[in-house]
Amino acid sequence: MTIQDSKIVGDNFQVGVRFQRYWDTSMANAFFCGELGAGIFFVSFLFDFVTGMVAGLLITGIFKSYFHITHMGVPMQSWRAILRPDRSWISRGLMAITCYLGLGAVHCLILAFDLETAWGLGTAVGNLVQLLAACAALVVMTYQGLAMSHSTAISLWNTALMPVSSMTYALTGGTVLTLLLGWNKVFAVMPQGQESLVSKILLLLLIDAIVLASVVYSAKNRSRGGKVSALLLLTGAYRQVFLSLVIGAGLILPMMLLWFVPGNLIAVLLAAAGILIGHYSYRVLVFKAGVYEPMTSFR
Amino acid sequence: MARYGMVFDLKRCIGCNACVIGCKQENSLPDGMFFTRTLSEEYGVYPAVKRVYIPTLCNHCEDAPCEKVCPSGATHTRDDGIVMVDADKCIGCSSCAVACPYDQRSQVDKDLLSHGLFGTSELTPFEKDGYKRFVPGTITKCDFCSERVDAGLDPACVVTCPTEARIFGDLDDPDSKASTLIRERNGKPPMPELKTRPKVYYID
Repeated sequence: MTIQDSKIVGDNFQVGVRFQRYWDTSMANAFFCGELGAGIFFVSFLFDFVTGMVAGLLITGIFKSYFHITHMGVPMQSWRAILRPDRSWISRGLMAITCYLGLGAVHCLILAFDLETAWGLGTAVGNLVQLLAACAALVVMTYQGLAMSHSTAISLWNTALMPVSSMTYALTGGTVLTLLLGWNKVFAVMPQGQESLVSKILLLLLIDAIVLASVVYSAKNRSRGGKVSALLLLTGAYRQVFLSLVIGAGLILPMMLLWFVPGNLIAVLLAAAGILIGHYSYRVLVFKAGVYEPMTSFR
Repeated sequence: MARYGMVFDLKRCIGCNACVIGCKQENSLPDGMFFTRTLSEEYGVYPAVKRVYIPTLCNHCEDAPCEKVCPSGATHTRDDGIVMVDADKCIGCSSCAVACPYDQRSQVDKDLLSHGLFGTSELTPFEKDGYKRFVPGTITKCDFCSERVDAGLDPACVVTCPTEARIFGDLDDPDSKASTLIRERNGKPPMPELKTRPKVYYID
């Protein structure tokens, strides 16, 4: 089957493949900011790097929230999204974001002002706060993929690899930005940490590539709609963006830069730019290439 | 309590789209919004070519994926099996729309309600009155004309169909026309592999 054979019918009253048109670029922006912010927070958290954690919290708290609000049809009712944690990943995600932002901010304040000593809290409270904040950040990194993977309507999304890709992309972006933010600070006095992060970014990029290939491959072999989505990315309308930005700029370029010139700030800057461009393009394309399965024919 | 469902007789459907117009009138649907569609498909090789018409609407699934993902509880199932959207609770996140495998949800765009079916910015009295039922930004869909059903009437698309290709009834009543047709003519739900257990069946 080629993309020409797939009969994309749009709004016509015909049996065929239809594009999902409900989750658009504003949703892609929100997912991107959520994953990136939580990723920076989580990696910075591992190094007790307050600047990185604050940056992560701000990216999630301001940008993700803003793009979600712009997407909502009835923004004033958005608080209602928290009401169904028993069945909806959006509700669970919103609860996780609330925990992550609240406890993450408290953890940053404790670290920055040494509140444990100042207020005589003891280490137990601080440990509990940081543990919950880190767990919430992990949920924020993955719940968006889980929300997508639960949609049986769209084959490209309906895979357990979606939350995995959310997690690995979040960690990749988070690691490279933590490395940049701490270049002259925490990593200036801890060069082994810098080397360790570079090698981890390379490993994460490799995992990103494997997960990405698996997402496309599994969609291609799952159903007619999934095949259309895969062909749109590989040979159809989104081919150029997918190959040049998601694969080229997002995976190959940073891999080469970090492999050949790992200790160079300019190289890391360029690698970070490539990773962010690739991650964002992936988020947008996954929404754009999502299609509904054709209605069953009864012939 | 009844468990309402619908049967489409594909042998009777002639693709006239009267049901679509009846639905639009009954529900005052703005331009470009449809709660039911009659899809067509051609198959075969010339000269043995055929066209089949496949009416579609919300399948009011027993295991509705749209209801499962709704974060605000706006999507709910009535005791009689009709899946409803409470516009006062809907936040317009569209998660139900991307979860529905049948693509049977519509977003009430603010722009849709600002112009009438005649393409002017002026709404007719019918449109002014009818559009009051919509909350801008929310998601809406077919509710089997629940107000008519509550009054003991059939949905508008059913009464409009000139060939009686749409049969509405209680699926729990073995003597209802819908149940009888499903049983005797081996009614099939759409995309059963998804296990959503639709309450809409096709017979041919």
